[in-house]
Amino acid sequence: MNGVSPGIATPAEQQGGVPAAAVNRRGFHLARDRVYTVRYGGYTTFVSENYSYKSETYYAILARELAGEAVAPDTQSMLDAFVVPVCLERAGHCGIPVAAYTIMHSCAPAPAIVYGLNYFASTSHFEVLTGDARDREKVRHVTNGGKYPCCSQPISPDMAVTRAVSVFGKVLSPVPGMQEMAGSVWECFRIPLVELVCLSGPGGPVLSSLCPVRYSRLQPAERRLLKACIFGQVFL
Amino acid sequence: MSRLGIFVDRRTLSSSDQLTSLIRCRDAAEEMGHSVEFIFPVDIRKIPQMDALFIRARTDPMNITYVASRMAAFAGIPVIDDPESIQVCSDKVNMYMHLARAGVAIPRTLFLSKGDIHPSRVRDIMDDLGTPLVLKEPSTSFSLRVERVEDPAAFIRVARRYLKMSDWVVAQEYVQSTYDWRIGVLRGRFLYACKYIIPSQTFKIQDSVNGHVVYCAVESVPPDAVPAPIRDLGVAAGKAIGDGLYGVDIKDGKEPKVIEVNDNPSLEGGEDGSYPHVYREIVHALLET
Repeated sequence: MNGVSPGIATPAEQQGGVPAAAVNRRGFHLARDRVYTVRYGGYTTFVSENYSYKSETYYAILARELAGEAVAPDTQSMLDAFVVPVCLERAGHCGIPVAAYTIMHSCAPAPAIVYGLNYFASTSHFEVLTGDARDREKVRHVTNGGKYPCCSQPISPDMAVTRAVSVFGKVLSPVPGMQEMAGSVWECFRIPLVELVCLSGPGGPVLSSLCPVRYSRLQPAERRLLKACIFGQVFL
Repeated sequence: MSRLGIFVDRRTLSSSDQLTSLIRCRDAAEEMGHSVEFIFPVDIRKIPQMDALFIRARTDPMNITYVASRMAAFAGIPVIDDPESIQVCSDKVNMYMHLARAGVAIPRTLFLSKGDIHPSRVRDIMDDLGTPLVLKEPSTSFSLRVERVEDPAAFIRVARRYLKMSDWVVAQEYVQSTYDWRIGVLRGRFLYACKYIIPSQTFKIQDSVNGHVVYCAVESVPPDAVPAPIRDLGVAAGKAIGDGLYGVDIKDGKEPKVIEVNDNPSLEGGEDGSYPHVYREIVHALLET
């Protein structure tokens, strides 16, 4: 445990930033909970499967930020990205097409996708309302029995929920428009590993939310891409 | 005439004192010639139509208040509490990092992660900070998830509980006192002062004792009765966080120390009894500067 200033100290392993794994190309694998740092575009970029508030990654980035280091993502981007209405507002300001949304406390007209807005909510856990008898229970679930508000996004009949993992702004998804979307989201939030949840229709995808991604959920091609980014091969 | 939005949340609006305080705020703004609209979470789309936003609900980066604050920031309108203040004050790790960086006096403080919570390490920490010491989950508010621990077993038990909610927890030197100073700071200037008299049954300003909630008494202190070192420390702590409205809690002693800085400080308990113009000053800061 080393002091960052008199009277205050942080966990020892955080002091020099996150323990970037010994990046050795031979036999390298993405280890659970591990955080990797990559120098890119003048920023120390943190690759993590958990960018949530009060996580090890969050605090490691915070410590670096307060030390004056240029980091990506910054902590405000981490907060913005995973609170759905804020994510959509920020993305909209960055010129990214986003889903229409309303904040509600109880019933939302179907068809719609709904996200909880509370301390315990995760963007990974959303519900799709289809107009059947289970909708009321789904809304109760995301609002914790009506205690907290939710964010509801209407889905038109010609739209489908599509998802793609973005690795440094690159996706392997064949969905038209998704690559452009991923590039724009990367420019806006600077989160190197994130899943895009979109509502895709004839006009192309609109952003619905961003979700964290576990390394274990990556497809082999996505895993190869991420490793290449960590080793700097993609940026050459 | 400008329009002030006051953001409230029915979930955290729970007493007649709070309602009365909101009405006093509205009255102050209207007396100054402004119109006021209360904004609930479902009305959040109205925020960009306002000229300023004053949030009076329990703030946290993970709840609707952060959405409201960011909406105001995106729209370029003045907001108290601003998103950065919510982010810093809602998280004690972040808050103490800001205070330490600015050289503001705080009790000796350690940030601990899962790897620190084993008997030998805990004994070292207790030797270093002394016993008892205080453990805090970073997003504590109203003294929730703050516990005084006397021995390593209690330390480990409490820390493990808090580590389920946060990857870091705060261990802090215990500073005994019968009251805390609360210094109100607005835009880097002294705004008001009061004392929170700590109930005899606990060491916190609010606690549950044998199933009963006990609250501190509030004693507003006129400006000329506030010691200069307390006042200056409060202002310095507020400035270390940002340019908003803060309630700085200070333990008095040989050397006063900041225990915490709160955004969205309570004003319904008589904190501003000796300062009748607090709401006018807040409205002025939001709409007239």
